[in-house]
Amino acid sequence: MTNLSRRDFLKLVRDGFLVLSGALALGGVLRFLDFQPNPAQKTQFDLGSATNYPIGSRTALSEIPALLIHAESGFSALSLVCTHLGCNLGEDESGFACPCHSSHFDAEGKVTHGPAAKPLSPLRIEISEDNRVILHTS
Amino acid sequence: MYFFILHLSSFILFPMPPSFFHHLHPPTIPTAQARWRHTLAAGGTAIFLMLILGVTGILEMFYYAPNPAEAALSVQTITYHVPFGGFIRNLHYWAAQALIVVSAVHFLRVIFTAAYGHPRRFNYLLGLALFVVSIMLDFTGYILRWDVDICWPLTTGTNLLKTIPVIGDFLYRIAVGGNEVCETALLRFYTWHIFGLTILVVILGVWHAFRVRRDGGIAVPPPQLRADVTRIPRDELVRREVLTMFIVSIGLILLSIFVPAPIAAAMSVSIRESVTESVDVRAPWFFLWVQQMLKWGDPFIFGVLIPSIILALLALIPYIFPQPNEAEIGSWFPKSNRLAQIIVAIIGTIIIILTFINR
Ligand code: FES
Repeated sequence: MTNLSRRDFLKLVRDGFLVLSGALALGGVLRFLDFQPNPAQKTQFDLGSATNYPIGSRTALSEIPALLIHAESGFSALSLVCTHLGCNLGEDESGFACPCHSSHFDAEGKVTHGPAAKPLSPLRIEISEDNRVILHTS
Repeated sequence: MYFFILHLSSFILFPMPPSFFHHLHPPTIPTAQARWRHTLAAGGTAIFLMLILGVTGILEMFYYAPNPAEAALSVQTITYHVPFGGFIRNLHYWAAQALIVVSAVHFLRVIFTAAYGHPRRFNYLLGLALFVVSIMLDFTGYILRWDVDICWPLTTGTNLLKTIPVIGDFLYRIAVGGNEVCETALLRFYTWHIFGLTILVVILGVWHAFRVRRDGGIAVPPPQLRADVTRIPRDELVRREVLTMFIVSIGLILLSIFVPAPIAAAMSVSIRESVTESVDVRAPWFFLWVQQMLKWGDPFIFGVLIPSIILALLALIPYIFPQPNEAEIGSWFPKSNRLAQIIVAIIGTIIIILTFINR
């Protein structure tokens, strides 16, 4: 049992209240700032008729950004967002290069040069009934 | 713009009656420590630059439209159409860049003259906080251009937040107002820039200046240990300050006339759609060293952890490093705080080297 004078006790209570109310206010402000007003980002892209992409074609779609591949086995797609910190990749002779911190990926999306650590993520492709290519980014 | 020079030179050429401005100063200050070669006039210049930033910033607000569709266009309007608009924007830009440089010089002066010792330890922390907030102001201001050249620094800078364990995603959402950098981000950066961070700088700045007076003015050894005990009156100090402001103004005006602030094509509504091969991928100059480190690997370690460790180390200098000897306070390169000087010199050199080897 420590000797706590009445004055010290009151001071402690006062400080406790100050800290508590401050923390509550801060928490409120942080929650206030954590609202997402804008509609969710578009995750579905209609790429047009599948006949536009012949077998063997590799089409870079810079506005998504993604690479649409049509191989013998069917359609597939790779995200062209750098897995390091999210810049758009540019195509070069041996694959894809990132302008921001010079990561490099080969044509299959594997890292050939850091700092990126993860390979490019594959994106889902769906062929609709009327033979249109639909790309999903999530 | 010449009115500005005219205005300041009238202070220098003609004696002014003592005013409120004089009363912000102590009646006398020590001669040795009032010399330019001692203070490098850096702290005072920083205050002056902040005043310029406030005035030019308010003027820019009359035209700037903080929404993604109009932001870059309104910057173009200010720059190319509004009378003196380009000049005012250039002044704002150059004063902001100069503020970073001058603050760094002020910091180095404080370290290399051992001016941070007790009782100025807390004020040292205030100064460091001011420096950090000034850099944040510079970065948010740069983002407000909302042209294609800010795309990647904005994307990578905010994605860096995401790499922080546990609270990263939350911080990211708070910073950009959503799960992607889009419309909401600009309004957030705008509000932080013109209000949140600015208020913080004003509070910290006033506090910092007040503590200088509270802690006994400029750092000097106690009177019995001083070689030169003469003092100059405040009129003389004010005269030197006005002269400094005059020189700084001329420098800023020349820069603003001959070297325009950067501007690029407007961004279209989505960031990803607006970038082409030709956009600038380089971070703003004061972050080039971080961008260089990011090329080495894990973004959290190189982009968040190392800069934070450096900051923490600098903040601890007055608390854990060998303390400056009283007799040496306020003289250049004292022996007693060598360790702090060496560490700051090494960190500074590395940052400068990294900045320059980044392409
Ligand atoms: S964002 Fe691609 S290398 Fe950093």
